[in-house]
Amino acid sequence: MQQKSIGKPTRRVDAIAKASGRTQYIADYTFNDMIYAKMVRSTVPRGKILEITVPELPSGYAFISAKDIPEGGKNQLNMIKSDYRCFAEDEVRFIGETIALIVGPDRGVLQDLVDQVAISYEETEYAVTIEDGLACKGGAFVGEDNCFCDFTIKKGDVDDIFAGSDRIFEEEINTGWQEHVHLETNGAIAMPEGDKFVIYVSAQCPFYVRKSIASLIDRPYEDIIVRQSVTGGAFGGKEHFPDVLAGPLLVAAYVTGKPVQLIFDRHEDSAYSVKRHPSRTHFRTAVDKDGNITAMDVDVVYNAGGYESCSYVVLQRGVFHATGVYNIPNSRVRGRAVATNTFPSDAFRGFGAPQTLFAVETHLAHIATQLGMDPLELKKRHFLKKGDVTVTNGHIYETVVLPEMAQQVLDESGYLEKAKQYAPGSLKGVGISFYNHGGAFTGNGEQMIIKARVRLRKNSDDTVDILIGSTEMGQGFQTALTKIVADELGIELERVRYPQPDTSVVSDSGPTVASRSTMIVGEIAQRSAAKLKEQWVDGKEIVVEEEYNHPAGFPWDQSTFQGDAYIGYGWGACVIEVEVDPLTTEVNTKGIWSSHDVGVAIDELIVQGQINGGIAQSLGYAAMEKLDFSSKTGFKQTGLSDYIIPTSMDFPSQVCTLVDNPYEFGPHGAKGMGELVFNGASAAYIDAVSRAVGKEIRSIPVPPEILMEMM
Amino acid sequence: MIDEIRFTLNNNEVAITCDPLKRLLDVLREDFGLFGTKEACGEGECGACSVLMNGRLITTCMVPVGAVKGKEIMTIEGLRDTDRGKTIIDAFADGGAVQCGFCIPGMVIAAESLLSKNAKPTEEEIRLGIAGNLCRCTGYDLIVESIKLASERGEGLW
Amino acid sequence: MVETSYIPQTLEEALRIRKETGAKPLAGGTDLMVMHRRGTGVIPSFPWPVMIISSLEELKYIRRDGDEIVIGSGTTCHAIEDDPSVPYAVKKAASLMGAESLRNLATIGGNVCNASPKADLPVPLIMMDARVTLVSATGSRTLLLDEFITGPKETVLKDDELLLEVRIPLPEKEYSHVWYRKIGTRKANAISKLSISAAITLDADGFIQDFRSANGASGPKVARSSEVEKLLEGKNVKEIHSVLEQFLDAYDAILSPHAMPTYRRLSTRRMLAHFLTEVATGAQGMIIT
Repeated sequence: MQQKSIGKPTRRVDAIAKASGRTQYIADYTFNDMIYAKMVRSTVPRGKILEITVPELPSGYAFISAKDIPEGGKNQLNMIKSDYRCFAEDEVRFIGETIALIVGPDRGVLQDLVDQVAISYEETEYAVTIEDGLACKGGAFVGEDNCFCDFTIKKGDVDDIFAGSDRIFEEEINTGWQEHVHLETNGAIAMPEGDKFVIYVSAQCPFYVRKSIASLIDRPYEDIIVRQSVTGGAFGGKEHFPDVLAGPLLVAAYVTGKPVQLIFDRHEDSAYSVKRHPSRTHFRTAVDKDGNITAMDVDVVYNAGGYESCSYVVLQRGVFHATGVYNIPNSRVRGRAVATNTFPSDAFRGFGAPQTLFAVETHLAHIATQLGMDPLELKKRHFLKKGDVTVTNGHIYETVVLPEMAQQVLDESGYLEKAKQYAPGSLKGVGISFYNHGGAFTGNGEQMIIKARVRLRKNSDDTVDILIGSTEMGQGFQTALTKIVADELGIELERVRYPQPDTSVVSDSGPTVASRSTMIVGEIAQRSAAKLKEQWVDGKEIVVEEEYNHPAGFPWDQSTFQGDAYIGYGWGACVIEVEVDPLTTEVNTKGIWSSHDVGVAIDELIVQGQINGGIAQSLGYAAMEKLDFSSKTGFKQTGLSDYIIPTSMDFPSQVCTLVDNPYEFGPHGAKGMGELVFNGASAAYIDAVSRAVGKEIRSIPVPPEILMEMM
Repeated sequence: MIDEIRFTLNNNEVAITCDPLKRLLDVLREDFGLFGTKEACGEGECGACSVLMNGRLITTCMVPVGAVKGKEIMTIEGLRDTDRGKTIIDAFADGGAVQCGFCIPGMVIAAESLLSKNAKPTEEEIRLGIAGNLCRCTGYDLIVESIKLASERGEGLW
Repeated sequence: MVETSYIPQTLEEALRIRKETGAKPLAGGTDLMVMHRRGTGVIPSFPWPVMIISSLEELKYIRRDGDEIVIGSGTTCHAIEDDPSVPYAVKKAASLMGAESLRNLATIGGNVCNASPKADLPVPLIMMDARVTLVSATGSRTLLLDEFITGPKETVLKDDELLLEVRIPLPEKEYSHVWYRKIGTRKANAISKLSISAAITLDADGFIQDFRSANGASGPKVARSSEVEKLLEGKNVKEIHSVLEQFLDAYDAILSPHAMPTYRRLSTRRMLAHFLTEVATGAQGMIIT
C-alpha cells in the first residue's frame, strides 16, 4: 500500500472501549420504568384482516395498533416514499408485516400474550418471484402492473446496431435475496422527555428516523429527538428499517408515557427485516466481427417486496451500473421494481449496483469464452477512460486507473499462467472481475435533497466537537473524520471528539449511505475546520458551520436521467482462484487478490478492513448465503445456523492493494469506498468456479448442492 | 424451583438465587450488570456471548446458570484487567481488528482461550481458534493478524 | 410453564429423581437450551421437569474395559477429541462438531439421546457396533446404539432410565483403513449436510475380512446395512472394481430419497468409490482422505 501522511494507520478512536467490552449498545441501556415491546406480525403473505382477538391483558400491559395513532396523526412511515404503513390495518402484504405491539414489564408474559393473539385472515393468492409479480399473480396491488417504477435510459441507437448485427448474445442472470446479518440486531427505545419524545436507536440515519415518524403523532420534527446508539453493524439494513421499530415505539411511548424498548432477536431479524433486492437481468449484446461490443440492450427487474421504500433509487443505481466499467457505444437499459408479497427489499451495501455488476461481468465472461478469448481480453478492451460518454450520456471526468489495477492483480495472482494451465472442467479455476461504484447520491441528490451541513464546536478548553448526523457503524468514519478535522486544525487527534449524533444538537449532514460520508461530508468538514482555524482563539467557544457546495459543470436532469449520474467513481479489480473437491463439489478458495481506487485512503488500515469485509460478504453472497421464501415463516432460513455466512475458515487471507488516484473534490483526494468493496468479488468467484467445473453459471448463490446439479 | 447457585465470577465469589435454568448470559448481563458479553443469535452459533468457564471457551446463551455451580467464570470485564487481556485488547486496537465491535469481546475471549493453550499459533491455528466467532464487518483477516500481534507482544505471558 | 428443575449431586440421586418425577436430563444444554428458548431475559420454558447433570463427575470418564473403550455419557466432545485411546473416526467426528464452545459443553450422552438425524457422533459409533448402557434406580440394560435410536429424535430410553455410557468394541484386528468425512454447511461451525464413516479390514493376502460403512444426515436415522456390507466381504481388494458398481447401487438404496437427494447420494457414491479405490490401489496408512 502506498504511504500518504494522512493515510498512515491510527488507532481507531473507539477501538479500546469496544474491545474492552465497555461500549454500550442499545440492548445494554436501561431506564427507570422501562417496559418492553414485542411485535405482533402478519402470518400470511397476503390477505384481508378479518378479526384480531387480543387476550385479556394484565394490568400494565397494552396492545398498541393503528387505533392508537392520535387524532391528526398518519399511519405511515415517511421513508423515501410514504407507502410503508406503521401498523397494517385492513390488509397485509407480506409475512412479518407489523400489525401491533404488545408492551409491558415482563418479557416472558409478553411472549405468552403475543402467542395468544389470534388473527383471522381472508387469504388471497400471492406473488413471490419476479415472474409472479410481473404476472400480477393474485391481482396487482400496486398500480395496474405491480411495478413501483419503470424507466428506460438510452445511449446511441441500439435497434439500429442490432438490425445490422449477425452476432447477438442473449442471456438472463439472476441473483437472490441476501440478509445483512449485522451482528447487532435491530433495536430501539422510545420515551417521552418533557413535552418531546426521545428515540434511542441503532441506526445509520438519525434524521431519517425523525422525519419518518413525526407525522404519526402529528408533531414537528424538532419534537422528536433521535439519538443514535453505538451501532453494531448495519450495511444498509439500518438505513430505513429502524423506522419500522421507531414508529410503533413512538406511538407506544405516547400512549403509555413510559420508556418502551424493542430489541429484535436473531430469528426476528432474519425473518422479519429488509433484504437485498433479488434481481433478474436480461441481456442482448451485439458484437462485431472484431470482437468489439457495439450495443447492449438490458432489461433489469428487481423484486421490491411489499412496499417501495427506496426501491426506485436502488433501481436507478442498478440501471446506471448495468453496463459496468465498460464503454458501450450504444445501450438501452430498462429498469423495473416489481411488487411481490415478500418482505420489502431495501438498502444493502452496493444499493442495486452489485446485482447488475455481477450480471454484466458474468455475461461478458460468457461472451468472451464463446468468442474463444480470455474474459480479461474482452473486458480490458472496453474499459472506460477519462472523457468517455457514460450510459446516461454524461462523462467520465477522472483518470480511470483500471489498466494499472488489472496489472496489479495479474501480477499478484499469477492469473495469466493459471488461466492457461487450468483447463475448463479441470476442477481448478481462476476468475477475474472489474467493477465500480458511483460516489455519493445519484445525480442531484446532494444539492437538491440533502444539502449537507457540518457543524464544528470549539470548546473553551480548546477541544473540538464534530456535531453532525453522520454515523459510525463499523466502517471507521468516526475515526476518519476525526483525522481529517484534526489534521486541518493542526491539533492532536485526542482534542477532537465526534460524539454519537443527537438530532437536537447536531447539523444534518445527510444520511450515512451511498459511500458519501468521507467524500462529501469529509470535504465539508475539512472546509469547516479551515474556517475554524482562521477564527481560532484559545479559551473561546466558537461554532462554525459549512454547507455542501456542488461543483459546477456536471449537468444532470433527474426527470430524464441524462447527464452526470455521478461525478466520481471508486474502481475495483479482483482475481479469485478456486479448487473444487471432486467428491463433494465443495469449493475451496485458494487465493483472493484485489486492487482498489478509492482516491486516497484516509486511513489505510480502515480501508483494508473494509476491503476484507466487503469481499467476504460478497463471497458469501455468491457461495453460501441461500435465502428462500417460506409460506410459513416468510423466509426459510431464519437463524445463524441455517443462514450461512462465512467463518474464519471459509476463505484464505486476502492480498489487497490500493492505487493512488486523488479525486479533485474529496478531502485529501478521497472518494467513497464502503460499498465499492462489495461490488466485485462475487463475479470473480463465480467466474473461477464456472471455469473449474466447465459450466456457465447464471445465478447466485451457488452452494455445493446446486453446483453439483449443474455439472 | 429457585436455588442458590454459587460460583466464582471474575475472581470474586458470588451467589445468585434464581431458577437454575436461567441462561448464564442473562444472569451475567442483567443480574450482574456485565453487559460486555453480547447476545447476537441466541443459539450458540456466533460466539458473541462467549466467556471462559474454568479456562474453557463456552457460549453462555445455551448454558443454564445451574450448570456453573462451583465453576470459575471469566468475562471480558475480568479479562480486560489482566496483562494478557490488555495485551490482546491493545493488539486488536493497533491491528485494525475492531470495526463495529459487536463480535469483539467474544473474539478477545476466544483469543485468550487459544493463546492459553497455544502461545505461538500459526495463521491456520488462529483461524481454527476463532472459527466459532462470527464477524460480518472484518472478513477476519485483521482479527487474525491482531491475535498474531498479541502473541508476539505477549512473549512470556502465555 | 411452571415445572421444577433439579441439580442432583450424585448419579444415585439423579436416578431417584428421574424415577420419581420423570425429570429429563440436561447435560451440555446445547440442544435443549436452544430448542426451548424464549428470548432475551426470559427463562427457557420446558414442558417437563429438568435435571441439570452436567456436573456429575460420575458420568465423565473414558477408559479401557477389556476390549471395549467405554465413554461416560457426561463426557464432552472436547474430552473425546483429546483422548488418544478413542478410535479415530469417533475422535474425528467429535472434533468437527459445531465450534470449540459447543465442544466444551456438548456431551456424547446428549448427542446420542437427542438422536437428531444430523447428529455427528452416532455415525462412527454405529459403524463400530457401539452399545449403550442404560441405568435406572432398579437395574440396567445394554443394547446396540443402532437399536437404541429408532428414528428422528426417537430413542427407546424409558422414563426412569438415564444413559450411563457408550461402549465401543475395539475390533479384534485393527482396521486396515478408515474414512471419516463430514460435509457441513460451511467449513467450520457447521451442521452436517452429510457425514460418512467407513472402515475396512484386509488379511495379509488382500481379502476383505470386514467392511463397514455408516451415513449420517441421510435419513431418519444413521443409515447402515450389514447385507450391503457383506457384498464386499470375502472379495479380494484387487477385485473391488468388479463389484464396485453393484455395491454402490445397493448402498444408494439405503439412503433417504428426500431433501437434496442428488447431492447426498452422489457425494456418498463418490466418497465410497474413492475410499475403496484408494484401498484397492494399495494406499499406505490407516487414515484415507
